[in-house]
Amino acid sequence: MSFENHCWADVVPQDMMDLYSVYERETFVGPKPALVCIDLYNIVYRGGPEMPLDIQDEHPNTCGIYAHRAIEPTKQIISAARRAGIPIFYCTQDFRPMNRPKGVGSTKRKNVTWTKEDFDIYPEFTPEDGDIVLYKQRASVFQGTPIVSHLNFLGVQSLIMLGESTSGCVRASAVDAYSNGFHVSIAEEATFDRHELTHKVNLFDLHHKYVDVMHVEEIVDHLDTHFPAK
Amino acid sequence: MTEKGWDQFLTDRDKRVFASAGFGATAGYGERPALLVIDVNYAFTGEKREPILESIRQWPNSCGEEGWDAVAVIGDLVSACRGKGVPVIYTTGVVRNDGWDMASWSWKNTRTAESSTGADPRLSNRDGNEIVDEIAPGPQDIVVYKQKPSGFFGTPLQSYLQLLRCDSVLVVGTTTSGCVRATVIDAFSQNYRVTVVEEGCFDRSQASHAINLCDMHAKYADVRSVGEVKEHIDGLEPGMFSLPAGQVGMS
Repeated sequence: MSFENHCWADVVPQDMMDLYSVYERETFVGPKPALVCIDLYNIVYRGGPEMPLDIQDEHPNTCGIYAHRAIEPTKQIISAARRAGIPIFYCTQDFRPMNRPKGVGSTKRKNVTWTKEDFDIYPEFTPEDGDIVLYKQRASVFQGTPIVSHLNFLGVQSLIMLGESTSGCVRASAVDAYSNGFHVSIAEEATFDRHELTHKVNLFDLHHKYVDVMHVEEIVDHLDTHFPAK
Repeated sequence: MTEKGWDQFLTDRDKRVFASAGFGATAGYGERPALLVIDVNYAFTGEKREPILESIRQWPNSCGEEGWDAVAVIGDLVSACRGKGVPVIYTTGVVRNDGWDMASWSWKNTRTAESSTGADPRLSNRDGNEIVDEIAPGPQDIVVYKQKPSGFFGTPLQSYLQLLRCDSVLVVGTTTSGCVRATVIDAFSQNYRVTVVEEGCFDRSQASHAINLCDMHAKYADVRSVGEVKEHIDGLEPGMFSLPAGQVGMS
């Protein structure tokens, strides 16, 4: 695929685009991919498809409308990955008892008292037999988890990532994947944050420096073409 | 298990336990190996072949003559891998001139200050971390600089293996009980298939060498003879890997 300026085109000024034009290149889904679904847990969908600012007092950490807009595209990719038979990873908060000292978390957000159910995977995407769920304490799925050993065991060479938040756990995980030598494609419409600006600028950064941001449709087509149903 | 070099160090009960508890099965080779040459530098060999008790006067980490025996074996394996375009990755130590970052090493050894310069720096121009000339890295080889036992700890080794799409490692070097073992266990933990070449590994302690090979073979790796491993390398398809082009220095 040729290099494309995605959702950020309306917020990134021309001089910044020009400055980053040196990163332009072909984009693609790499060989032997796995799907990694970052933090598709209940709390980010709470309060329904509203603006996060209007509902976050009652539903802390919600991504509101942005989470709900991503539901259909996310289902499309997960379905395509199942048809293709590629490995599917999920990650969510480590909620096992007595798992960490006070103050350890994915962000510096003020403390909220959570329950385990808050961090269960949203029912639309419930993991199935054969999927792999990883529990993490920090932003990146590579930090303090066995993901690299699982990917090596499966012979995975590339990742397709989606989920939230673009500026937090998706970005941290994508950069660590890149640093570990994996080619990464991010599914644009299935990735979201609490505010459009931070979503767009973070995707801009990731796309230019570390990953290939691609449309859900391109990724689904790739999987359907390269992994025809048996 | 068939008769192995470490058998003389095991009690009869040990032999019966290993035989009946299922350890020591053959993990097998992968399809895309890299050769890892762990810390075969002058600090661990001394500058010349000498009996170990003489060699350690100047180089406290030296493993003496066993090191030089292994260097010849490693040289053969390095050539075989280069001939097939199989990645050859060396590790060696790196330390500040003032030694501050020796840190935990200095807690357990009273001569760490001498480890990279030699006991009397006037007697040698060698940096102890320099890989021995007989197996000096070639232009398409890769050198990983480390500070702790495992080649994976605080280094880009994992990312290089990923970029090269390796699924397995062949391990030689020193010390069998220290950096070889630590690297083997981390490779195992990352789900690489691990082969340790018996004659390509060395240690300052004969007993530690034998028992660490025994442990690794029981649990983490296949310990094999150089002949077997060379035969395996010879059977690999040439040119499978996208190796460095061979430029000197960093871009």
